[in-house]
Amino acid sequence: MSEILSVKRLKKKFGDLLVLDDINFSVREGEFFSIIGPSGCGKTTLLRIIAGLESFEGEVLLKGREIRGPGADRVMVFQDYALFPWRNVIRNVTFGLEVKGMRKDDSLKIAREMIKIVGLSGFEEKYPHELSGGMKQRVALARALVCDPELLLMDEPLSALDAQTRLEMQEELMRIWQKTKKTVIYVTHSIEEAVYLSDRILVLSKRPAKVKDVVEVFLERPRNRFSAEFAEICLKLHSLLK
Amino acid sequence: MKALTVVSIFIFLFFWEIFYWIFIKDPFLFSPPSRVFPTFFNIMTGRDPSFYLPADIIYSLYHYFHGFSVAVMLGVSLGLLMGYSKKFEALISPIIEILRPIPPIAWIPIAILLLKLTHAAAAFIIFIGSFFPVLINTRSGVANVEIKYIEAAMTLGAKKSDILRKVVIPSAMPSIFTGIRVGSGVAWMCVVAAELFGVSAYGLGYQIEIARLYHAPEVVLSYMLSIGLIGFLLDRFYRILEHSLMKWRRGLVVE
Repeated sequence: MSEILSVKRLKKKFGDLLVLDDINFSVREGEFFSIIGPSGCGKTTLLRIIAGLESFEGEVLLKGREIRGPGADRVMVFQDYALFPWRNVIRNVTFGLEVKGMRKDDSLKIAREMIKIVGLSGFEEKYPHELSGGMKQRVALARALVCDPELLLMDEPLSALDAQTRLEMQEELMRIWQKTKKTVIYVTHSIEEAVYLSDRILVLSKRPAKVKDVVEVFLERPRNRFSAEFAEICLKLHSLLK
Repeated sequence: MKALTVVSIFIFLFFWEIFYWIFIKDPFLFSPPSRVFPTFFNIMTGRDPSFYLPADIIYSLYHYFHGFSVAVMLGVSLGLLMGYSKKFEALISPIIEILRPIPPIAWIPIAILLLKLTHAAAAFIIFIGSFFPVLINTRSGVANVEIKYIEAAMTLGAKKSDILRKVVIPSAMPSIFTGIRVGSGVAWMCVVAAELFGVSAYGLGYQIEIARLYHAPEVVLSYMLSIGLIGFLLDRFYRILEHSLMKWRRGLVVE
Protein backbone atom coordinates (compact mmCIF):
# COMPACT_ATOMS: atom_id res chain seq x y z
CA MET A 1 0.00 0.00 0.00
CA SER A 2 1.26 3.46 -0.85
CA GLU A 3 1.70 6.33 1.54
CA ILE A 4 -1.01 8.99 1.46
CA LEU A 5 -0.03 11.26 4.34
CA SER A 6 3.36 11.90 5.85
CA VAL A 7 4.08 13.97 8.92
CA LYS A 8 7.67 15.02 9.48
CA ARG A 9 9.33 16.85 12.38
CA LEU A 10 5.98 18.31 13.40
CA LYS A 11 5.96 20.74 16.32
CA LYS A 12 3.10 22.68 17.85
CA LYS A 13 3.21 25.37 20.51
CA PHE A 14 0.37 27.25 22.17
CA GLY A 15 2.24 30.35 23.29
CA ASP A 16 5.13 28.99 25.34
CA LEU A 17 3.49 25.63 25.89
CA LEU A 18 4.97 22.90 23.74
CA VAL A 19 2.19 20.46 22.88
CA LEU A 20 3.55 18.31 20.07
CA ASP A 21 7.30 17.69 19.92
CA ASP A 22 8.93 16.24 16.82
CA ILE A 23 6.13 14.01 15.57
CA ASN A 24 6.93 11.70 12.64
CA PHE A 25 4.62 9.12 11.09
CA SER A 26 2.91 8.24 7.85
CA VAL A 27 -0.48 6.88 6.91
CA ARG A 28 -1.05 4.35 4.11
CA GLU A 29 -3.74 4.67 1.51
CA GLY A 30 -6.99 2.92 2.47
CA GLU A 31 -6.03 2.09 6.04
CA PHE A 32 -7.88 2.73 9.25
CA PHE A 33 -5.32 4.58 11.35
CA SER A 34 -5.97 5.48 14.98
CA ILE A 35 -4.26 7.89 17.32
CA ILE A 36 -4.39 7.25 21.05
CA GLY A 37 -2.67 8.87 24.00
CA PRO A 38 -3.23 10.17 27.53
CA SER A 39 -5.95 12.81 27.80
CA GLY A 40 -4.73 16.32 27.09
CA CYS A 41 -1.70 15.06 25.15
CA GLY A 42 -2.64 16.79 21.91
CA LYS A 43 -4.35 14.05 19.87
CA THR A 44 -7.09 16.39 18.80
CA THR A 45 -4.57 19.14 18.06
CA LEU A 46 -2.68 16.75 15.80
CA LEU A 47 -5.88 15.93 13.92
CA ARG A 48 -6.80 19.62 13.64
CA ILE A 49 -3.36 20.31 12.17
CA ILE A 50 -3.94 17.67 9.50
CA ALA A 51 -7.39 19.21 8.87
CA GLY A 52 -5.70 22.56 8.30
CA LEU A 53 -7.39 24.25 11.25
CA GLU A 54 -4.19 24.94 13.23
CA SER A 55 -0.79 26.45 12.47
CA PHE A 56 2.33 24.30 13.03
CA GLU A 57 6.05 23.93 12.43
CA GLY A 58 7.37 21.07 10.33
CA GLU A 59 5.96 19.26 7.35
CA VAL A 60 2.59 17.67 6.65
CA LEU A 61 2.32 16.23 3.14
CA LEU A 62 -0.85 14.85 1.59
CA LYS A 63 0.14 12.80 -1.48
CA GLY A 64 3.37 14.78 -1.57
CA ARG A 65 1.64 18.18 -1.51
CA GLU A 66 2.05 20.42 1.49
CA ILE A 67 -1.27 21.18 3.20
CA ARG A 68 -2.29 24.82 3.47
CA GLY A 69 -5.49 25.55 5.34
CA PRO A 70 -8.63 23.42 5.42
CA GLY A 71 -10.02 21.73 2.34
CA ALA A 72 -12.58 19.17 1.23
CA ASP A 73 -9.82 16.60 0.56
CA ARG A 74 -9.52 16.18 4.35
CA VAL A 75 -12.97 16.29 5.89
CA MET A 76 -13.28 16.28 9.64
CA VAL A 77 -16.00 14.64 11.71
CA PHE A 78 -16.30 16.38 15.06
CA GLN A 79 -16.90 14.98 18.51
CA ASP A 80 -20.09 17.03 18.96
CA TYR A 81 -21.11 16.44 15.31
CA ALA A 82 -21.31 20.19 14.46
CA LEU A 83 -24.36 19.58 12.27
CA PHE A 84 -25.93 22.80 11.02
CA PRO A 85 -29.11 23.10 13.11
CA TRP A 86 -30.82 25.29 10.47
CA ARG A 87 -30.52 22.57 7.81
CA ASN A 88 -32.41 19.31 7.74
CA VAL A 89 -30.61 15.99 7.32
CA ILE A 90 -30.44 15.96 3.55
CA ARG A 91 -29.35 19.59 3.31
CA ASN A 92 -26.65 19.00 5.89
CA VAL A 93 -25.38 16.17 3.73
CA THR A 94 -25.46 18.20 0.50
CA PHE A 95 -23.47 21.08 2.05
CA GLY A 96 -20.06 19.98 0.77
CA LEU A 97 -21.49 19.38 -2.71
CA GLU A 98 -23.24 22.76 -2.80
CA VAL A 99 -20.06 24.68 -2.04
CA LYS A 100 -18.33 22.67 -4.76
CA GLY A 101 -20.92 24.10 -7.14
CA MET A 102 -22.70 20.83 -7.97
CA ARG A 103 -26.18 21.01 -9.53
CA LYS A 104 -28.98 20.62 -7.03
CA ASP A 105 -30.58 17.43 -8.35
CA ASP A 106 -27.19 15.72 -8.67
CA SER A 107 -26.23 16.61 -5.12
CA LEU A 108 -29.61 15.46 -3.78
CA LYS A 109 -29.21 12.14 -5.55
CA ILE A 110 -25.73 11.54 -4.14
CA ALA A 111 -26.85 12.64 -0.67
CA ARG A 112 -29.83 10.24 -0.74
CA GLU A 113 -27.55 7.34 -1.63
CA MET A 114 -25.14 8.21 1.16
CA ILE A 115 -27.95 8.58 3.68
CA LYS A 116 -29.02 5.09 2.69
CA ILE A 117 -25.48 3.76 3.22
CA VAL A 118 -25.30 5.19 6.74
CA GLY A 119 -28.75 3.74 7.46
CA LEU A 120 -30.84 6.89 7.80
CA SER A 121 -33.31 6.57 4.92
CA GLY A 122 -36.63 8.09 5.90
CA PHE A 123 -35.03 10.79 8.05
CA GLU A 124 -34.05 13.12 5.19
CA GLU A 125 -36.42 15.91 6.20
CA LYS A 126 -35.73 15.81 9.95
CA TYR A 127 -33.81 18.57 11.69
CA PRO A 128 -30.77 17.79 13.89
CA HIS A 129 -32.62 18.52 17.14
CA GLU A 130 -35.08 15.76 16.28
CA LEU A 131 -32.34 13.09 16.10
CA SER A 132 -30.56 10.96 18.71
CA GLY A 133 -26.79 11.17 19.24
CA GLY A 134 -26.07 8.06 17.16
CA MET A 135 -28.23 9.34 14.31
CA LYS A 136 -26.51 12.73 14.39
CA GLN A 137 -23.14 11.01 14.10
CA ARG A 138 -24.42 9.08 11.07
CA VAL A 139 -25.47 12.36 9.45
CA ALA A 140 -22.05 13.88 10.19
CA LEU A 141 -20.41 10.83 8.62
CA ALA A 142 -22.61 11.02 5.52
CA ARG A 143 -21.93 14.75 5.21
CA ALA A 144 -18.20 14.04 5.24
CA LEU A 145 -18.32 11.02 2.92
CA VAL A 146 -20.25 12.68 0.07
CA CYS A 147 -17.24 14.99 -0.38
CA ASP A 148 -15.26 11.90 -1.32
CA PRO A 149 -12.23 13.08 0.69
CA GLU A 150 -8.74 11.59 0.45
CA LEU A 151 -8.69 11.50 4.23
CA LEU A 152 -11.54 11.16 6.65
CA LEU A 153 -10.54 12.69 9.98
CA MET A 154 -12.56 11.61 12.98
CA ASP A 155 -12.18 13.26 16.38
CA GLU A 156 -13.52 10.98 19.12
CA PRO A 157 -16.74 10.67 17.13
CA LEU A 158 -18.38 8.13 19.40
CA SER A 159 -17.40 9.48 22.79
CA ALA A 160 -20.68 11.33 23.38
CA LEU A 161 -22.73 8.15 22.94
CA ASP A 162 -23.94 5.68 25.55
CA ALA A 163 -22.07 2.36 25.80
CA GLN A 164 -24.63 0.32 23.89
CA THR A 165 -24.95 2.76 20.98
CA ARG A 166 -21.20 3.10 20.92
CA LEU A 167 -20.66 -0.60 20.26
CA GLU A 168 -23.32 -0.56 17.56
CA MET A 169 -21.73 2.46 15.94
CA GLN A 170 -18.29 0.82 15.96
CA GLU A 171 -19.71 -2.05 13.94
CA GLU A 172 -21.54 0.37 11.67
CA LEU A 173 -18.36 2.34 11.17
CA MET A 174 -16.53 -0.83 10.10
CA ARG A 175 -19.32 -1.72 7.68
CA ILE A 176 -19.30 1.77 6.14
CA TRP A 177 -15.51 1.93 6.03
CA GLN A 178 -15.27 -1.42 4.25
CA LYS A 179 -17.92 -0.27 1.77
CA THR A 180 -16.38 3.14 1.00
CA LYS A 181 -12.67 2.16 1.28
CA LYS A 182 -11.68 5.56 2.68
CA THR A 183 -8.43 6.29 4.49
CA VAL A 184 -9.46 7.13 8.04
CA ILE A 185 -7.49 8.85 10.79
CA TYR A 186 -9.33 8.27 14.00
CA VAL A 187 -8.64 9.89 17.37
CA THR A 188 -9.96 8.08 20.42
CA HIS A 189 -9.15 7.69 24.09
CA SER A 190 -10.48 4.14 24.17
CA ILE A 191 -7.86 1.42 23.66
CA GLU A 192 -10.49 -1.21 23.02
CA GLU A 193 -12.17 0.91 20.36
CA ALA A 194 -8.84 1.53 18.63
CA VAL A 195 -8.02 -2.18 18.56
CA TYR A 196 -11.49 -3.11 17.30
CA LEU A 197 -11.35 -0.62 14.42
CA SER A 198 -7.77 -0.03 13.33
CA ASP A 199 -5.15 -1.41 10.99
CA ARG A 200 -2.50 0.55 12.84
CA ILE A 201 -2.47 2.57 16.06
CA LEU A 202 -0.22 5.53 16.79
CA VAL A 203 0.54 5.87 20.50
CA LEU A 204 1.43 9.32 21.80
CA SER A 205 3.17 10.07 25.11
CA LYS A 206 2.17 12.62 27.71
CA ARG A 207 2.57 16.33 26.88
CA PRO A 208 4.77 17.43 25.18
CA ALA A 209 3.69 14.50 23.05
CA LYS A 210 6.16 12.35 21.12
CA VAL A 211 5.44 9.20 19.15
CA LYS A 212 5.84 6.25 21.50
CA ASP A 213 5.11 3.52 19.02
CA VAL A 214 2.99 2.54 16.04
CA VAL A 215 1.24 -0.76 16.73
CA GLU A 216 -0.01 -2.88 13.86
CA VAL A 217 -3.19 -4.93 14.39
CA PHE A 218 -3.24 -8.06 12.23
CA LEU A 219 -6.56 -9.52 13.45
CA GLU A 220 -9.20 -10.60 10.91
CA ARG A 221 -12.38 -8.57 10.65
CA PRO A 222 -14.99 -8.66 12.10
CA ARG A 223 -12.92 -8.80 15.25
CA ASN A 224 -13.83 -10.70 18.36
CA ARG A 225 -13.47 -8.45 21.37
CA PHE A 226 -13.25 -11.45 23.68
CA SER A 227 -10.44 -13.35 21.98
CA ALA A 228 -7.04 -13.79 23.63
CA GLU A 229 -5.23 -12.03 20.76
CA PHE A 230 -7.49 -9.01 21.11
CA ALA A 231 -6.81 -8.81 24.83
CA GLU A 232 -3.10 -9.18 24.22
CA ILE A 233 -2.96 -6.11 21.95
CA CYS A 234 -5.07 -4.10 24.39
CA LEU A 235 -2.67 -5.04 27.16
CA LYS A 236 0.33 -4.02 25.09
CA LEU A 237 -1.20 -0.62 24.36
CA HIS A 238 -2.16 -0.24 27.97
CA SER A 239 1.42 -0.67 29.13
CA LEU A 240 2.63 1.72 26.40
CA LEU A 241 0.28 4.39 27.70
CA LYS A 242 1.46 4.11 31.30
CA MET B 1 -57.06 30.78 27.81
CA LYS B 2 -59.36 32.38 25.22
CA ALA B 3 -61.99 32.89 27.91
CA LEU B 4 -59.46 34.64 30.14
CA THR B 5 -58.56 37.03 27.32
CA VAL B 6 -62.21 38.02 26.91
CA VAL B 7 -62.65 38.40 30.67
CA SER B 8 -59.57 40.60 30.97
CA ILE B 9 -60.75 42.89 28.16
CA PHE B 10 -64.21 43.25 29.70
CA ILE B 11 -62.78 44.04 33.14
CA PHE B 12 -60.59 46.71 31.57
CA LEU B 13 -63.51 48.30 29.67
CA PHE B 14 -65.68 48.17 32.77
CA PHE B 15 -63.22 50.09 34.95
CA TRP B 16 -62.56 52.57 32.17
CA GLU B 17 -66.28 53.31 31.93
CA ILE B 18 -66.66 53.59 35.73
CA PHE B 19 -63.58 55.81 35.95
CA TYR B 20 -65.11 58.27 33.49
CA TRP B 21 -68.49 58.51 35.19
CA ILE B 22 -67.06 58.89 38.69
CA PHE B 23 -64.03 61.15 38.19
CA ILE B 24 -64.36 63.09 34.91
CA LYS B 25 -67.90 63.42 33.60
CA ASP B 26 -66.78 65.99 31.02
CA PRO B 27 -67.03 64.93 27.33
CA PHE B 28 -64.48 67.55 26.28
CA LEU B 29 -61.75 66.08 28.45
CA PHE B 30 -62.12 62.31 28.29
CA SER B 31 -64.43 59.62 26.93
CA PRO B 32 -65.75 56.29 28.18
CA PRO B 33 -65.68 53.20 25.93
CA SER B 34 -69.44 53.56 25.38
CA ARG B 35 -68.64 56.71 23.44
CA VAL B 36 -65.32 55.69 21.91
CA PHE B 37 -66.59 52.59 20.15
CA PRO B 38 -69.40 54.31 18.21
CA THR B 39 -66.93 57.04 17.24
CA PHE B 40 -64.39 54.46 16.18
CA PHE B 41 -67.06 52.82 14.02
CA ASN B 42 -68.01 56.16 12.45
CA ILE B 43 -64.51 57.29 11.54
CA MET B 44 -63.65 53.82 10.30
CA THR B 45 -66.60 53.70 7.90
CA GLY B 46 -66.56 57.29 6.66
CA ARG B 47 -69.64 58.52 8.51
CA ASP B 48 -67.67 61.32 10.12
CA PRO B 49 -67.11 64.49 8.05
CA SER B 50 -63.69 65.39 9.51
CA PHE B 51 -61.92 62.11 10.19
CA TYR B 52 -61.44 59.04 8.01
CA LEU B 53 -59.39 56.34 9.71
CA PRO B 54 -58.52 54.04 6.75
CA ALA B 55 -56.75 56.87 4.92
CA ASP B 56 -54.76 57.73 8.03
CA ILE B 57 -53.81 54.10 8.55
CA ILE B 58 -52.53 53.90 4.99
CA TYR B 59 -50.46 57.06 5.39
CA SER B 60 -49.00 55.92 8.69
CA LEU B 61 -48.17 52.49 7.34
CA TYR B 62 -46.53 54.17 4.38
CA HIS B 63 -44.31 56.25 6.71
CA TYR B 64 -43.61 53.19 8.81
CA PHE B 65 -42.60 50.93 5.93
CA HIS B 66 -40.57 53.66 4.27
CA GLY B 67 -38.45 54.35 7.36
CA PHE B 68 -38.38 50.83 8.70
CA SER B 69 -37.42 49.10 5.45
CA VAL B 70 -34.39 51.37 5.08
CA ALA B 71 -33.50 50.68 8.73
CA VAL B 72 -33.68 46.92 8.16
CA MET B 73 -31.60 47.00 4.98
CA LEU B 74 -28.94 49.27 6.43
CA GLY B 75 -29.03 47.80 9.94
CA VAL B 76 -28.70 44.20 8.75
CA SER B 77 -25.90 44.91 6.28
CA LEU B 78 -23.87 47.10 8.63
CA GLY B 79 -24.49 44.63 11.46
CA LEU B 80 -23.21 41.78 9.30
CA LEU B 81 -20.08 43.72 8.42
CA MET B 82 -19.48 44.73 12.03
CA GLY B 83 -19.92 41.20 13.33
CA TYR B 84 -17.78 39.77 10.55
CA SER B 85 -14.84 42.18 10.53
CA LYS B 86 -13.14 43.33 13.70
CA LYS B 87 -11.56 46.27 11.84
CA PHE B 88 -14.87 47.53 10.54
CA GLU B 89 -16.36 47.19 14.01
CA ALA B 90 -13.53 49.23 15.55
CA LEU B 91 -13.98 51.84 12.85
CA ILE B 92 -17.71 52.31 13.15
CA SER B 93 -18.57 51.44 16.73
CA PRO B 94 -17.51 54.77 18.34
CA ILE B 95 -19.86 56.65 16.01
CA ILE B 96 -22.69 54.23 16.72
CA GLU B 97 -22.20 54.44 20.47
CA ILE B 98 -22.49 58.23 20.44
CA LEU B 99 -25.47 58.43 18.08
CA ARG B 100 -27.41 55.59 19.66
CA PRO B 101 -28.42 57.31 22.94
CA ILE B 102 -29.92 60.31 21.09
CA PRO B 103 -33.70 59.75 21.18
CA PRO B 104 -35.48 59.81 17.80
CA ILE B 105 -37.55 62.81 18.96
CA ALA B 106 -34.38 64.87 19.31
CA TRP B 107 -33.81 64.41 15.58
CA ILE B 108 -37.16 65.99 14.64
CA PRO B 109 -35.93 69.61 14.37
CA ILE B 110 -33.04 68.59 12.13
CA ALA B 111 -35.31 66.37 10.05
CA ILE B 112 -37.72 69.24 9.47
CA LEU B 113 -34.98 71.72 8.68
CA LEU B 114 -33.27 69.44 6.21
CA LEU B 115 -36.22 67.63 4.68
CA LYS B 116 -39.01 70.16 5.34
CA LEU B 117 -42.50 68.93 6.15
CA THR B 118 -42.38 65.90 3.88
CA HIS B 119 -43.04 62.18 4.09
CA ALA B 120 -39.27 61.74 3.99
CA ALA B 121 -38.92 63.68 7.25
CA ALA B 122 -41.34 61.30 8.98
CA ALA B 123 -39.62 58.27 7.48
CA PHE B 124 -36.30 59.61 8.68
CA ILE B 125 -37.44 59.78 12.32
CA ILE B 126 -38.83 56.25 12.05
CA PHE B 127 -35.57 55.11 10.51
CA ILE B 128 -33.54 56.60 13.38
CA GLY B 129 -35.71 54.84 15.95
CA SER B 130 -35.58 51.38 14.41
CA PHE B 131 -32.10 51.32 12.90
CA PHE B 132 -30.17 50.74 16.13
CA PRO B 133 -32.07 47.73 17.49
CA VAL B 134 -31.74 46.02 14.10
CA LEU B 135 -28.03 46.84 13.89
CA ILE B 136 -27.14 45.81 17.44
CA ASN B 137 -29.00 42.50 17.30
CA THR B 138 -27.57 41.60 13.89
CA ARG B 139 -24.06 42.36 15.06
CA SER B 140 -24.35 40.25 18.19
CA GLY B 141 -25.94 37.42 16.20
CA VAL B 142 -23.00 37.37 13.82
CA ALA B 143 -20.38 37.77 16.55
CA ASN B 144 -21.89 34.81 18.43
CA VAL B 145 -21.86 32.30 15.57
CA GLU B 146 -20.35 29.16 17.04
CA ILE B 147 -16.85 28.55 15.75
CA LYS B 148 -17.52 24.83 15.34
CA TYR B 149 -19.99 25.50 12.51
CA ILE B 150 -17.46 27.66 10.72
CA GLU B 151 -14.74 25.03 11.14
CA ALA B 152 -17.06 22.27 9.97
CA ALA B 153 -17.92 24.32 6.89
CA MET B 154 -14.24 25.01 6.19
CA THR B 155 -13.25 21.36 6.30
CA LEU B 156 -16.17 20.62 3.95
CA GLY B 157 -14.52 22.95 1.43
CA ALA B 158 -16.52 26.15 1.99
CA LYS B 159 -14.97 29.38 0.75
CA LYS B 160 -15.28 32.70 2.61
CA SER B 161 -18.36 33.74 0.67
CA ASP B 162 -20.01 30.34 1.34
CA ILE B 163 -19.33 30.71 5.04
CA LEU B 164 -21.01 34.11 5.10
CA ARG B 165 -24.06 33.01 3.10
CA LYS B 166 -24.51 29.47 4.31
CA VAL B 167 -23.25 29.58 7.90
CA VAL B 168 -23.01 33.08 9.38
CA ILE B 169 -26.30 34.48 8.08
CA PRO B 170 -28.54 31.49 8.82
CA SER B 171 -26.94 31.06 12.22
CA ALA B 172 -27.49 34.75 13.05
CA MET B 173 -31.04 34.71 11.68
CA PRO B 174 -32.85 34.29 15.03
CA SER B 175 -30.95 37.26 16.41
CA ILE B 176 -31.60 39.32 13.27
CA PHE B 177 -35.30 38.59 13.64
CA THR B 178 -35.26 39.70 17.26
CA GLY B 179 -33.76 42.97 16.01
CA ILE B 180 -36.46 43.28 13.38
CA ARG B 181 -39.24 42.73 15.89
CA VAL B 182 -37.84 45.13 18.47
CA GLY B 183 -37.06 47.64 15.72
CA SER B 184 -40.57 47.37 14.31
CA GLY B 185 -42.04 48.15 17.72
CA VAL B 186 -39.89 51.25 18.09
CA ALA B 187 -40.62 52.28 14.48
CA TRP B 188 -44.34 52.14 15.08
CA MET B 189 -44.04 54.25 18.22
CA CYS B 190 -41.99 56.78 16.28
CA VAL B 191 -44.76 57.10 13.68
CA VAL B 192 -46.88 59.13 16.08
CA ALA B 193 -44.02 61.42 17.10
CA ALA B 194 -42.96 61.91 13.50
CA GLU B 195 -46.46 62.79 12.26
CA LEU B 196 -47.35 65.14 15.12
CA PHE B 197 -45.57 67.97 13.35
CA GLY B 198 -47.76 67.87 10.29
CA VAL B 199 -45.59 66.33 7.63
CA SER B 200 -48.81 65.45 5.79
CA ALA B 201 -52.51 66.10 6.23
CA TYR B 202 -53.15 62.43 7.00
CA GLY B 203 -51.68 59.91 9.40
CA LEU B 204 -52.64 58.56 12.81
CA GLY B 205 -50.13 60.72 14.67
CA TYR B 206 -51.21 63.88 12.88
CA GLN B 207 -54.95 63.34 13.38
CA ILE B 208 -54.56 62.57 17.04
CA GLU B 209 -53.19 66.08 17.50
CA ILE B 210 -55.93 67.62 15.32
CA ALA B 211 -58.56 65.82 17.38
CA ARG B 212 -57.08 67.29 20.54
CA LEU B 213 -57.39 70.79 19.05
CA TYR B 214 -61.07 69.97 18.30
CA HIS B 215 -61.48 68.91 21.94
CA ALA B 216 -62.72 65.54 20.80
CA PRO B 217 -61.22 63.01 23.23
CA GLU B 218 -63.41 60.24 21.79
CA VAL B 219 -61.57 60.70 18.48
CA VAL B 220 -58.18 60.87 20.20
CA LEU B 221 -58.92 57.62 22.00
CA SER B 222 -60.17 55.98 18.79
CA TYR B 223 -56.89 56.82 17.12
CA MET B 224 -54.95 55.55 20.12
CA LEU B 225 -56.91 52.32 19.95
CA SER B 226 -56.08 51.82 16.29
CA ILE B 227 -52.39 52.58 16.91
CA GLY B 228 -52.37 49.86 19.56
CA LEU B 229 -54.21 47.38 17.35
CA ILE B 230 -51.97 47.89 14.34
CA GLY B 231 -48.82 47.68 16.46
CA PHE B 232 -50.10 44.39 17.82
CA LEU B 233 -50.88 43.08 14.34
CA LEU B 234 -47.45 44.06 13.04
CA ASP B 235 -45.77 42.19 15.86
CA ARG B 236 -47.96 39.16 15.12
CA PHE B 237 -46.99 39.35 11.48
CA TYR B 238 -43.26 39.24 12.26
CA ARG B 239 -43.76 36.41 14.73
CA ILE B 240 -45.56 34.31 12.13
CA LEU B 241 -42.92 35.13 9.53
CA GLU B 242 -40.17 34.19 11.97
CA HIS B 243 -41.89 30.96 12.85
CA SER B 244 -42.34 29.86 9.25
CA LEU B 245 -38.83 30.90 8.17
CA MET B 246 -37.12 29.17 11.06
CA LYS B 247 -38.80 25.80 11.34
CA TRP B 248 -35.50 24.39 12.57
CA ARG B 249 -35.85 26.22 15.86
CA ARG B 250 -39.15 24.60 16.76
CA GLY B 251 -38.65 22.57 19.87
CA LEU B 252 -35.34 24.32 20.58
CA VAL B 253 -36.89 27.43 22.08
CA VAL B 254 -39.71 27.73 24.53
CA GLU B 255 -42.02 30.42 23.29
